[in-house]
Amino acid sequence: MSWWALCRQELRAIFTNQALLLTVFGGVLLYSFLYPLPYTSQVPREQQVAVVNLDGSQLSRRLERMIDATPQVQLSARGLSLEEAQSIFLERKMAGIVVIPQHFYRDLLQGRQPTLAYAGDAGYFLVYGTVLEGLAGPGQSLAAEVKVSRLVMSGQVLTLAAEQHSAIQLNLHPVFNPTTGYVNYVIPAVFILILHQTLIMGAGILGGGQNEQRLMAEKGYWLEAAPWKLLLVRSSLFLAIYWLLCMYYFGFSFSFYHIPHAADFSQLNLLILPFLLGATFLGISLGLLLPRRELATLLVLLSSMPLIFASGFIWPVAAIPGQLTAIVQIIPVIPAIKAFVGLNQQGADFADILPLWQQLWLCAAFYGCTAWGLLRRLQRLSRS
Amino acid sequence: MTAPSFASMAAREWRVLGCDPWLLSLVSWVPLLLFFLMWAIFSQGIARDLPLGVVDLDKSRISRALIRHYDASPTLATTGHYLDVQEGAAALRAGEICGLVILPANLEKRTMLGRPPAVDAFVNSQFLLIGKLINSALLQAQGTFVGKIEIAKNLATGTPVFARALATAMPIASQVTPFFNSNNNYAQFLVSAMLPAIWQILMVAVTVLSLAAEQRRDGLREWLGASPVKALSAKFLPLILLFWLHGMLFLWGMYIFLGWPMHGNWTLLLFAQLITVCASLAAAALFFFLTLDAARGLSLAAAYTAPGLAFMGVTFPVTDMTLPATLWRGLLPISHYIEIQFGQVNYGAPLQAAMEPLRHLVFFVVPLLFVCYKARQLGAVPVASGVKQ
Repeated sequence: MSWWALCRQELRAIFTNQALLLTVFGGVLLYSFLYPLPYTSQVPREQQVAVVNLDGSQLSRRLERMIDATPQVQLSARGLSLEEAQSIFLERKMAGIVVIPQHFYRDLLQGRQPTLAYAGDAGYFLVYGTVLEGLAGPGQSLAAEVKVSRLVMSGQVLTLAAEQHSAIQLNLHPVFNPTTGYVNYVIPAVFILILHQTLIMGAGILGGGQNEQRLMAEKGYWLEAAPWKLLLVRSSLFLAIYWLLCMYYFGFSFSFYHIPHAADFSQLNLLILPFLLGATFLGISLGLLLPRRELATLLVLLSSMPLIFASGFIWPVAAIPGQLTAIVQIIPVIPAIKAFVGLNQQGADFADILPLWQQLWLCAAFYGCTAWGLLRRLQRLSRS
Repeated sequence: MTAPSFASMAAREWRVLGCDPWLLSLVSWVPLLLFFLMWAIFSQGIARDLPLGVVDLDKSRISRALIRHYDASPTLATTGHYLDVQEGAAALRAGEICGLVILPANLEKRTMLGRPPAVDAFVNSQFLLIGKLINSALLQAQGTFVGKIEIAKNLATGTPVFARALATAMPIASQVTPFFNSNNNYAQFLVSAMLPAIWQILMVAVTVLSLAAEQRRDGLREWLGASPVKALSAKFLPLILLFWLHGMLFLWGMYIFLGWPMHGNWTLLLFAQLITVCASLAAAALFFFLTLDAARGLSLAAAYTAPGLAFMGVTFPVTDMTLPATLWRGLLPISHYIEIQFGQVNYGAPLQAAMEPLRHLVFFVVPLLFVCYKARQLGAVPVASGVKQ
């Protein structure tokens, strides 16, 4: 079969396959809006907190106002006792409680150490962290103020006192995602997974459908063409389609959601190539193995959650059981997430991600050989 | 054609399941494997020894003591020591370390002279959770260390009483209580939401595939026949029981086998699961009857269920979701279920609190009615359409 004829056959097979088109174009487009949807506010704000003020002094009321003024929390209920606050907390599904102890002001003046008590709903991690940030910050500011005023009272100059209230200062700088936004955190990694999964589904639906026809003893062009030729044509077509979709994700979507993209265009392409090749060949191999086309979708669907959580961007790789991490290394998306996030989000040098890039090529080679071997076997089977 | 009895049709459904090795695996060992895998990933529960890099430009007693304090934090492990900032920054960009602390020159001298030096810490917040853990671990380690220095200073300069020296160094103490997850166990937090999400994916996928299996066997018309509603309910009943069993299984695994605390009412929780199963089934049947094709139906099901966890409001709070997000969230049975599960498990919430999500779940009777209507149509039409392609 000539190259041109094969190309035409493949193009027709791809662009007349409704399930494939729905999955590839529909899926990629839909997900580019659906996945970031819950996170568009980026950071949780104004979590509802109940306050119990057992002191009633002017200073304790100032602390309340300071807490209320933080963007993280909002004091929206008041309890006269801890028990009352707890029941309000449960009833109104609030996120935290802060207790200002009795004699808070007196103890501070007398140089005793009063204890502020904070509680948060640790059933939701992000909420808990936000509540603690909002509650602890004002407490620390107040403590610093107290120290400064004591230094001033003991004869220190105010400017010096303001500088000296802490023996060593710590300045924390969040980098790569300076606003600690949730979209910037989740989307770069999830988009890689979406591209990977829909590509495998697409190639798998195409191959699985053809395999289904073969099992019903139908002939097809794909059983006649030379295996390497067919693989080359098919992978090039998928590569072309997904290159465009990659540009849509890394270009349009990243700008649309204001996600930083540090990678150089040529380096990004250099990384896209083995990633897409590996995923295509994996999809083709799956299609050749599966007796029905919908099973490719099924396998991909079921593997998505384990893969995203095993990839190490949510939970540190070192904390995941070693055997599990070792097994998933043969799936292209695992090194790809690390490499893309490194290159595009963290501004790593290409030399830093070189081992991952090599791993992606190894995956591509491995699945390429697998697909070739499977295809050759099927062609022999159908001839005999 | 004599209409077969409901019992014989339900019994037939079991046989259909048994004949298809894919369906059989999906209702037997696959859920177990997936539940186990998700738990295994997070089984450590608490992140320890996150790699921290240090650039010590002072190399003094105090700077080394400070580094030891960072290293002593269970969350941190100072794995990288770099000679200059460039080297450390490169390691941070390459992902070898998750945070970089720079101890300035003259740290000791300035501390002793009472001219507070500033330590700069750069924390990789691209990995949000890891970044937050490092942030708070650094703050805590630093706080302890600075407190020690100041107490020593106060004791040396005229406050002989320890408690007074402590109160001068740290005028306000704080006490933090995490409710409902007292040791901040990440597994307990996330796995309890992930398993329901996986459960929904499985329910929807199996339902679509099992309807497709009928289409493959004798065609939908033949199967639905004269009494489509009976055929559908005979198909759904065994599936409902199986899915409910899976649901009970993960609850048992988490709250009995692993012994995570559960404060609520088991009956209510199991009842909510049953309703959730029915709602998911209705949604899945809708996808199949809309497309009448396994691959396209499953593609829709994938689009519908795969981002389920994101919309549940566990990882990111519902109160901060935009209107379109909450609308889509409302279309997913599992997001209503998770409200009941979290309410029961964490708060031991009263019955009234579960009424609203349960009411929402009842709305899934709408797709079910559509499915019945469509099935009636398909069962009635002559052989030409809606049958095996």
